[in-house]
Amino acid sequence: MSLAVEDPPLVLGTGHGGMAARRAVIRWAWRLFRREWRQQSLVLVLLLVAVAAITVGLGAATNSASSQASSFGTADHLVTLGSTDESQLSADIDALRAAFGTAEVIQYQKVPIPGSANTIDLRAQDPNGPYGRSMLRLDSGRYPQGPDEVAVTERVAQIFGLHVGGTWDLGGRQRPVVGLVENPLNLLDRFVLAAPGQATPVDHVTVLIRATAAEFAAKTLPSGSSIELRSPEEDNSSAAVLVLATIGLLFVGLLAVAGFTVMAQRRLRALGMLGAIGASHRHIRLVMVANGAVIGTVGALAGAVLGLATWFALSTQLESSFGHRIDRFNLPWTTLLFAVLLAILTSIGASWWPARSAARVPIVSALSARPATPRPAHRFALIGAALLAVGIGCLVAAQQTKQLFIVGGVVTTALGLLLLAPVGIAVLGRLARVAPLAPRLALRDLSRYRARSGAALAAIALAVGIAAAIALTGATAVAKAAQPTGGNLPPDQLIVWLFPHAVDGAVQSLTPEQTASARLRVDAITGDLHATSVLALQAPVGKDTPQDGGGLSVVQLGKPTITSSGGERPGVEYSSKLSVRLFVATPEMLSHYGINQASIGADTDVITSKTGIDGYDLYPFGGTPPRPHLQQVSLPTYSSQPTALMTTHGMETLHLSAIPVGWLVQTPRPLTQAQIDRAQQTALAAGLVVETRPTGADLERLADNATGSGIAVALGVLVMTVGLIRSETAGDLRTLTAAGARRSTRRTLTAATAGALALLGALIGTIGAYLALGAWYHRELHWLAHVPWVNLGAILLGLPLIAYIGGWLLAGKEAPGLARQPLD
Amino acid sequence: MSVRHALLAQLAEGPKYGLQLREEFEARTGEIWPLNVGQVYTTLQRLERDGFVESDDVDSGPQKSYRITGRGEAELAEWLRTPPDMTSPPRDELVIKVLAAVRLPNVDVQEVIQVHRRRLVELMQQWTRLKEDEAQYDLGLALLLDAELYRLDSVILWLDATDARLRREAATPTPARSHDRPSPRPGRRMGARR
Amino acid sequence: MSVLELRGVSRVFGHGANGVVALDGVHLSVEAGTMVAVMGPSGSGKSTLLSIAGTLEKPSGGEVLIDGTRLSAMSGREQARLRRRSIGHVFQDYNLLAGFTALENVTLSLELDGMSVRRARAAGTAALDRLGLGHRASSFPSQLSGGERQRVALARALVGDCRLLLADEPTGALDSGHGEAVMRLINAACKRGVAVVVATHDAQLASWAERVVFLRDGRLVDQTAPPPGPESLLLPVTSGR
Repeated sequence: MSLAVEDPPLVLGTGHGGMAARRAVIRWAWRLFRREWRQQSLVLVLLLVAVAAITVGLGAATNSASSQASSFGTADHLVTLGSTDESQLSADIDALRAAFGTAEVIQYQKVPIPGSANTIDLRAQDPNGPYGRSMLRLDSGRYPQGPDEVAVTERVAQIFGLHVGGTWDLGGRQRPVVGLVENPLNLLDRFVLAAPGQATPVDHVTVLIRATAAEFAAKTLPSGSSIELRSPEEDNSSAAVLVLATIGLLFVGLLAVAGFTVMAQRRLRALGMLGAIGASHRHIRLVMVANGAVIGTVGALAGAVLGLATWFALSTQLESSFGHRIDRFNLPWTTLLFAVLLAILTSIGASWWPARSAARVPIVSALSARPATPRPAHRFALIGAALLAVGIGCLVAAQQTKQLFIVGGVVTTALGLLLLAPVGIAVLGRLARVAPLAPRLALRDLSRYRARSGAALAAIALAVGIAAAIALTGATAVAKAAQPTGGNLPPDQLIVWLFPHAVDGAVQSLTPEQTASARLRVDAITGDLHATSVLALQAPVGKDTPQDGGGLSVVQLGKPTITSSGGERPGVEYSSKLSVRLFVATPEMLSHYGINQASIGADTDVITSKTGIDGYDLYPFGGTPPRPHLQQVSLPTYSSQPTALMTTHGMETLHLSAIPVGWLVQTPRPLTQAQIDRAQQTALAAGLVVETRPTGADLERLADNATGSGIAVALGVLVMTVGLIRSETAGDLRTLTAAGARRSTRRTLTAATAGALALLGALIGTIGAYLALGAWYHRELHWLAHVPWVNLGAILLGLPLIAYIGGWLLAGKEAPGLARQPLD
Repeated sequence: MSVRHALLAQLAEGPKYGLQLREEFEARTGEIWPLNVGQVYTTLQRLERDGFVESDDVDSGPQKSYRITGRGEAELAEWLRTPPDMTSPPRDELVIKVLAAVRLPNVDVQEVIQVHRRRLVELMQQWTRLKEDEAQYDLGLALLLDAELYRLDSVILWLDATDARLRREAATPTPARSHDRPSPRPGRRMGARR
Repeated sequence: MSVLELRGVSRVFGHGANGVVALDGVHLSVEAGTMVAVMGPSGSGKSTLLSIAGTLEKPSGGEVLIDGTRLSAMSGREQARLRRRSIGHVFQDYNLLAGFTALENVTLSLELDGMSVRRARAAGTAALDRLGLGHRASSFPSQLSGGERQRVALARALVGDCRLLLADEPTGALDSGHGEAVMRLINAACKRGVAVVVATHDAQLASWAERVVFLRDGRLVDQTAPPPGPESLLLPVTSGR
């Protein structure tokens, strides 16, 4: 033999492949992505949407919480001086300055709003104050200077009809309005700003101070002052967003597994070729993983960019609903980076398993594009069944409260169902035997290409399962709302409260005119509802109950708990959970509930329908809380209805006075959601609050949306996978056509594939949802008897039908080029 | 193969001597078809007699020059377009041998076929080697080699087809035989891959 | 020493009674610079033989030696390196990577072996030039004709230090003209010292080989005689003068 070497001998590389090999493989993966990203666009889009949503969510979560800075500025202690005496005040302030160095003084003067019980603060504050600077922002005009000038917030300008350049007659004093201001940290803050020291007469004075707890404790404070401490702010909101993001990305990851499996199958011959020319398993895996990384990176970065753009566009609109100005660059950048990395990792992780299986296909099989023999389904089924059992066990153990068990249970149940999906596919293959020709071929192919149809099925089942679970929860909520007993109110009653927190927070004593104007509004509401009766509710308030944020506290019945926190003097605490609302037993009230005045004992303080509240005290009360004499009467039992009434005797002996708090409205029929919405709108316009029995309508709406989204996602998965599954078997199609099959046969094939996948996915998803919720409500399984027929119908019948019809319609458009799947 | 028309074709290019005609013929066929001088001259004489060629009567012998006549050109043109007689199959010796082997008991037909197949492949190898060695071979030789290779190839194809047919016959019982064996067993499974 | 040696190689698909014998005790040895053609009908085991020789499949029995080294003694990773360096595969349907240019397809195995891009490109360009495809180096497979694609595939198989070329019906998808061109190129590579095994059912293709072995039901049943000397090339004309 003769060796005629024309070229100089080649210097071969190290032989390990190394960087050069990886680079070559990654280059190919990149080219692969550039050529085929359309086939993976669903994965790409889902990643993009997920990351964009996470970005916006993080922005909103970080900026939604109103910060204590709206009242503290950059200080951490807020001292309110009680004295109103000028000289005493300045002495106190000097003392504070001496003790803490810098101290910013803000003076407050109360300005009454005509025709309202509310007041507005006139605030004398330095716009360039060392701590309070961030609490002021000039919108137009300038800051006030001198003794008379003021600036107002827009809301105040509206109330009093003011404009910049005008004057404001304030208690006979003409004050020029020189600017519009706002508290950027609390847009709801309405106030009048005056130059420092120009609030006369002073109502109270606050001093902002920055000091460590130790420093603060070491100093003595002026007598009569109260202190507010800035509590350490912890931001859990972005953590919550991140948890949601993880769940969302898990789902996207599952879809990506389906997508990447399809892609691996499409590239099987090329991968086999790589193996034939000496690529190791690791190289072949790298191709797939690199592709996953490219998809992940592109999707995540594009998503982040889209998310940021949306956030920037949205943030100004969010300011009004958040009630404070938003710094659009105030984003948790580290968390965002983490989310982007998580998305990339999800994609890489999702490509790992298909990569591993692709690398394991024998080269000879890969070269002829023969998919690896599907693993026996029962092996997965066993693991799947075990996981399902564990997941459901976790949900049972969670008792609806333990978070770790809930998350673990949901994830494990989902994984279990995913592993059971191949069994479903295998069953489909069995069923094929009795089906007509076209569906038979479709079902056979599904079970032949189990790897990819299984992943698609899992994704569909998960999307549908989440939707079904939400639908079931919605149905349960509606059922709970519809049950005859329990809850806050019967379905045919509503309460219009005068105050935002009903009687649980601060209330004010209204002037008769105010009460009358509120009553007019209530009449409008009741007229719309054709109310049969309107009962005025009055609450007992103590004449000397502690002033709480400028309002009065309603006396309630509370269960005393002795506290001995910190080893100091033992105190008494009342939990709001165990409190019973008290109303005044007016003659109107008594006659409404048919209680004879004479039947009430002479020394009875409180009449009630409640039992087991014998040891309850009246609170809040200065001094020793009194324990009332109770008498059982027949009063309503819903928690928001008047269940306990303070008798005239009680009112007198305890020196309580009655103030109106709301009206209980009786309607002829149970309220519909539309009526409730209307009543709420009317009430809101007048600053009133409506309380009704929850109808579950919100959850129902959510369930409908979830059902729609679940079906949409499932259809998206089908679009991605069915076309590919069918195009792989295009050869069969040609054979069929040659054998005289009509065009409709081809359509039926695609339609049957899509329909079968959709139906099976819907079934598995629904069963999974029922199992999970069964575990959730394992103590009260009867709730699951309330079936959301419409939603489940849409999922179990609608989805397969749409899939079938869609497959039928789209099959006609199948590109002829798909007939043979070329490698090059 | 008509030597007569081959010579006519050569003379159509221009007047030539007898010896020159022989050398050119052999060169063009890659010396595959040898031609003796006597054969050339008898053919030329017949052609002259038929009026297809004419010679300058100066000399007789090797230096005699021939050229084609008008009739000769007409004859050549007609011959080119006349299909050779291919209607009746040639009595091919190989076919007869295989047919005989099939009928004879105690003869392994496949072995017989394989012997011939190998022999044919060996022949083809020789032709191919010629093709490969003659890097600058001329067109006529190339066409000739192709013709020979395709001919041998077709014989091998026939042998392959015969082989396959005989195997099928052996595997599937004929209808006559299937009376004895009502449930015919499928043939031995062949290798799964190509 | 033989570049490739098969010693009693067998391959059975499936198990037990259902097993299908694809190869049955095949002995074959191929020297450097020689071409062996494996002929046989479809299903006779040709492709399996090539797959096993090329370390794409493992034999059920027997031993394969490449350059005297037993494959059974090599790890999967070492076999992959052997494929990268010493074994070239040519398939009927080219199997080029669609996303790579002709040159990148050729340099792939070199880069997989850790060669720098620059050096690999130089070697790849040389290999393409040798097959007359230097001007198509930056074309993608979809822009090439069938014959050109197979030549690119051949360049990929031969690039580097290829010692053994395994061609499975390399001209199956080409017309006779392009098929002959590819066979000439394979033959030229063989003359440069590469050991070549061609699997085919086409006698014209097989006749390019020094030695033709006949495979039938997984067994080697016959082979051609060694080539005669050049003087015996002239054959007597047998008929029809």
